[in-house]
Amino acid sequence: MTSVRYDNATRTYEGTSVPAVDALDLDIGDGELLVLVGPSGSGKSTALRMLAGLEPLDGGSIRIGDRDVSNVRPRDRDIAMVFQNYALYPQLTVADNMGFALKQAGVPKEERRTRVREAARVLDLEPYLDRKPKHLSGGQRQRVAMGRAIVRRPAVYLMDEPLSNLDAKLRVQTRTEVVELQARLGVTTVYVTHDQVEAMTMGHRVAVLKDGVLQQCDTPRKLYHEPLNLFVAGFIGSPAMNLVPVGDERPLRLGGSAIELARPGDAALAEISGAITVGFRPEALQVGEGPLRAKIRTVEDLGSEVFVHLSLEHRGQPLALVSKMMPPFDGEPGDSIGLQIIGATHLFADDGSRVVSTTATLQAASAPAGVASDASPAAP
Amino acid sequence: MNTTLGTRIAPRPLGLSESWRRRLPLLPALVFTILLTQVPFVMSIWYSLTDWKVVPPTPRQFVGLGNYGKLVSDHFFRQAAWTSIELTVVPVLGSILLGTAFALLLDRKFFGQGLVRTLLITPFLLMPVVVGLIWKNQMFHGLYGVINWVIEKLGGTPVEFISRYPTWAIAATLIWQWTPFMMLIILAGLQSQPGDVLEAAKVDGATPFGIFRQLTLGHLRPYMELGILLGTVYLIQVYDQVAVMTGGGPGSTNLPYFVFERSIGGGWDFGRASSYSIVVVIASIIIATVALRVLSGLLKGEEIA
Repeated sequence: MTSVRYDNATRTYEGTSVPAVDALDLDIGDGELLVLVGPSGSGKSTALRMLAGLEPLDGGSIRIGDRDVSNVRPRDRDIAMVFQNYALYPQLTVADNMGFALKQAGVPKEERRTRVREAARVLDLEPYLDRKPKHLSGGQRQRVAMGRAIVRRPAVYLMDEPLSNLDAKLRVQTRTEVVELQARLGVTTVYVTHDQVEAMTMGHRVAVLKDGVLQQCDTPRKLYHEPLNLFVAGFIGSPAMNLVPVGDERPLRLGGSAIELARPGDAALAEISGAITVGFRPEALQVGEGPLRAKIRTVEDLGSEVFVHLSLEHRGQPLALVSKMMPPFDGEPGDSIGLQIIGATHLFADDGSRVVSTTATLQAASAPAGVASDASPAAP
Repeated sequence: MNTTLGTRIAPRPLGLSESWRRRLPLLPALVFTILLTQVPFVMSIWYSLTDWKVVPPTPRQFVGLGNYGKLVSDHFFRQAAWTSIELTVVPVLGSILLGTAFALLLDRKFFGQGLVRTLLITPFLLMPVVVGLIWKNQMFHGLYGVINWVIEKLGGTPVEFISRYPTWAIAATLIWQWTPFMMLIILAGLQSQPGDVLEAAKVDGATPFGIFRQLTLGHLRPYMELGILLGTVYLIQVYDQVAVMTGGGPGSTNLPYFVFERSIGGGWDFGRASSYSIVVVIASIIIATVALRVLSGLLKGEEIA
């Protein structure tokens, strides 16, 4: 049983006043694959290095299993780490690289060789065991780094952007292999990445960090459909969610159209004051028929889906929106086209937190939804 | 079409004269250097094939390889050659060991790091003659030497280091002067070791000493070899410390000092002295060639991971 627990863990680098990781609380279950994701500088790597013991804690504690490891040296933590640049030992052969940790632990030579062979077979590295790392390709080096970790059978795996140096195709393929391997071994794993697609596809749960602060930690599905705040809403999903600041006027308006909210939304709206941001995902925005008209900027046809980038006048400013449509789609850049919201719509309060998720529809500009007679889309 | 062809062909002869125009300013320096180094060398080879004593003046006579023949049985030459080996091997090994130790101590952040590094480098910046004088008069001296002062304070009896252990005294001085040089090379090696490799080793359970023995030492090998090569080529021709500290005193005459003694230092036997110096040059070339080959083979095989 190896769970990992960050309890109020804080790390402030010397010479800075803002913590790189600020009071992080996180529970990682036994056998779970948890992904830490965030933009650069969000503290995700620092959080991982704190767990590895490569960064000291300035506050709080970290537990692995039942043991408080806050002041335990890296080598006594029973962890294995995969580094972004693999950090292979250049003078040692692949076999010696993979067996290095076992040798340090005093495992007899025979057993070492068996276990290295076993891991090499899993990772298709058997023909390369006698080579030095510099004679390997990038993908093979990455596998050696993985092999070095799995040979050890540690309590926790730590992976710091292990796929970011692979080319795009190999990355997708290796991603699946890592997930399968982790599932087979069933070892608790903490995985750091800046790539939200990697996070969503790999993680049992995903923890989103920003400026050292945990924003939300939940399953990929929950993150996508119920983001806790504006940052998570904008960070998760590609293309990103359409986020429209609508100010504090009521009813809410997108361009010249009023937004009519369905059942829980209208009641919630009545309770909040202040500026509001409306968010809806590209697949919730349909183009073609609709009460509001926008101009097509570009069309990205990926074959299986089409992303239509739109521009419209909203509160006196040009506003960019994205719609995801099923092919075929025949709009051309420059065309004027109708819009309608057909899916989930989220309302975010002034402080960025999500107030309610609901469904909404756009009303025609002249609709009797309490709209002033001024039909100009550039109403103040 | 014709014109473009013409302009395309034209730069060729122009380029040749252009390259010569660039080389021309370098030529005087090159000629000067060749004259200054190669002419005396060729003349030394010629002198080494003659019997030429200046005091008392005798006519110069061509004797072929006669001087070299006598070398083999010359007891003093063999003694000087052995001292040369001692005064090269001991300081090179001593300074590389000490230099590595200091480099390991310096390879971390601490208060006053810049000052400490600068102070540790200063011995290498001193002139060899000054180093010799400092150690002879202020450190090793029987009456006023710091070392003997310490020995006396500790209740021991003073030792006349320079007359009792002349070769070791010179070797100690050379170690003192060459340790900073080795330290700098090893420090550069330590700092070129990727940090994530060391972190990986820490996570993999290696102790600090285990990391040094299994990873760092292998990484430092080419740097150590470079230090040994450069140190050897320089130390094999040390003259200043020998001249200043012992004047070639009991058993401390190395080959360069022996050449001096036999020629302008009082021997005035230029023919035989030249043959000694040619032997030193040949030995240096052999050492340098072998060492360079070993080194380049290592660089090809080991580095650039």
